[in-house]
Amino acid sequence: MSELLDKTDLNRLVDAWLSEGRRVAGPQCVNAKDSRGQADRIQYAWLTKAEELRLDGFIRPTNSIKEFVFPRHEKLYGYQFKGKRLELTPAELPTTEQVVIGARPCDAAALKILDAVFNWDVKDEFYNRRRELTTVVTLACKEHDDFCFCTSVGSGPCDERGSDVLLIPIDGERYEVRCLTEKGKKLLAGATTASSEEATAPQGPPVRFNLDALGEFLAGGYDRPEWPEITRRCLGCGACAYTCPTCHCFDIVDEGSASGGARVRNWDACQFTMFTAHASGHNPRSDQSQRQRQRIHHKFQIYPDKFGELLCTGCGNCSRNCPVDMGVLPVLKTIAAKK
Amino acid sequence: MLDELRQTCRRLLQDGTVQAVIGYGRPSPEDPVVPVFITKPEDVDQLAWDDQCFANLVKYLLRKEVLSLGKLAVCVKGCDQRALLVLEKESQIDRSQIVVIGLACDGVGKPRLAKCASCDVHTPRQSDFVIGKANTPDAAATVAERYAELDAFLAKPPEERMAYWKKELSRCVKCYACRQVCPMCYCRQCIVDKNRPVSISTSATLKGNFAWHITRAFHLAGRCVGCDECTRACPAGIDLRLLNLSLAKAAEENFDYRSGMDPEKEPIIGAYSQQDHEEFIR
Repeated sequence: MSELLDKTDLNRLVDAWLSEGRRVAGPQCVNAKDSRGQADRIQYAWLTKAEELRLDGFIRPTNSIKEFVFPRHEKLYGYQFKGKRLELTPAELPTTEQVVIGARPCDAAALKILDAVFNWDVKDEFYNRRRELTTVVTLACKEHDDFCFCTSVGSGPCDERGSDVLLIPIDGERYEVRCLTEKGKKLLAGATTASSEEATAPQGPPVRFNLDALGEFLAGGYDRPEWPEITRRCLGCGACAYTCPTCHCFDIVDEGSASGGARVRNWDACQFTMFTAHASGHNPRSDQSQRQRQRIHHKFQIYPDKFGELLCTGCGNCSRNCPVDMGVLPVLKTIAAKK
Repeated sequence: MLDELRQTCRRLLQDGTVQAVIGYGRPSPEDPVVPVFITKPEDVDQLAWDDQCFANLVKYLLRKEVLSLGKLAVCVKGCDQRALLVLEKESQIDRSQIVVIGLACDGVGKPRLAKCASCDVHTPRQSDFVIGKANTPDAAATVAERYAELDAFLAKPPEERMAYWKKELSRCVKCYACRQVCPMCYCRQCIVDKNRPVSISTSATLKGNFAWHITRAFHLAGRCVGCDECTRACPAGIDLRLLNLSLAKAAEENFDYRSGMDPEKEPIIGAYSQQDHEEFIR
């Protein structure tokens, strides 16, 4: 037995969630011309009505859903100078329930990875509050492109990690619904119909590199001479990190005037020169190849050593958004070819 | 054309004229076209040339990771070559130390990028070698034609234009891909990286994003060559081309100047003259 939901009912649900005061985010066309003259640009964004939601006709949004639990800019607290006194005002924690609809499995799986980071030492109250308020309805992938490599990093088009509900397309109009958590069950209670029909699990992309070979390469030392050659074309922007569902580095800065302001945290990226610049002027990662090496080591060695899983879900956004077609996959393929 | 390109590069590497060629290539046949750095004559077969050769490779002449390879040859399309001229005028490169391989180009992208429609530099100029022959005649673009896209936008009421930019710039995450791909962005420390004290908010808020993009645009006034790499690189799909066109139009209308076009003309922002009609400059 399975539970089914058709597209019209799904759209009706989205509108109902919105009218109940929830914030709902999902893939939508952001109306921008695609610079390569390809299809409409699809990004995850807050929806104002179900009509804006796009569930098919594209591979995956060019951004990630991390934005909804880990915003690119967040106020941590306010400060005010009162004479010689400094007054701190805590930032208000969010209270609005939110739903992410049409998340890709590679995005949802990343939430589990972020959970570990934002709770291993300090329990991050901002992240955790948003996470508690968020229900993730994931849509299994029917299609993939040359950038997708979920199956090479232990994920796949029906990965359930991080999702509260998984929708698997049966045809263009209907989905099999798998409620995976209490949150998911609550959100979709009474909305689905029982059926004997079941969706067939869609196929993922072929395995594109050998993860064990990569592990050997990385374990083979930090100063491998291959890095400059492999990474020479990297121009040092943050497009890979900022569109990655798992990258989570941030910078804390004070913004304000002489009388007061706010301490905020903003996304940061390891490919920037400034990321490791010391106040002394010294920079331990002064070369782009060192910064690329760091990104790969962090994702495939440092994070796994600490938390037991990879810091990558194979979404391919790093390459899809790279101005010079780099990102994780070409680097790993080059490494595998060197073995 | 590809054979000619490969032969030229092979010869340059073989006779030691250059130590590396910056070109477009496919590391293996199924790969997309990427910037490649060929250092061995036997690797020239990696070189590719088709309408997927987007990147403005001139940028790499400013990257220490590439300069470390030694003397360089660089492949340029006509639009990219304009950047080379500006960099030379701004004393950022020693043109005599670079071998320039011009690639005649009929436009890139499927469909063609916006910049290709009004292109009048299909055949790169001031190159040491020009490979191939462009089949597309250079558009005898008038000022009106060149800026048609911008003029259509400017015809809209100010409120509508402001709403447009608010919507577009709200998506900016400050990844600085626009800056990193730009051959004109070579400041040793970008103003957004100045943090003692902070000059421009690093926050990707609407206010911070306006501050960044307006500053970026002003720094490019009279310098941007319209290669549109920023627009292509933007992961949020923001049409920075519109801002750049606006600057280019101002430079052309007021100073009869198109950056990177005429080697005889001095840069309008960078040059100084005793005859300047503005008193504060004299």
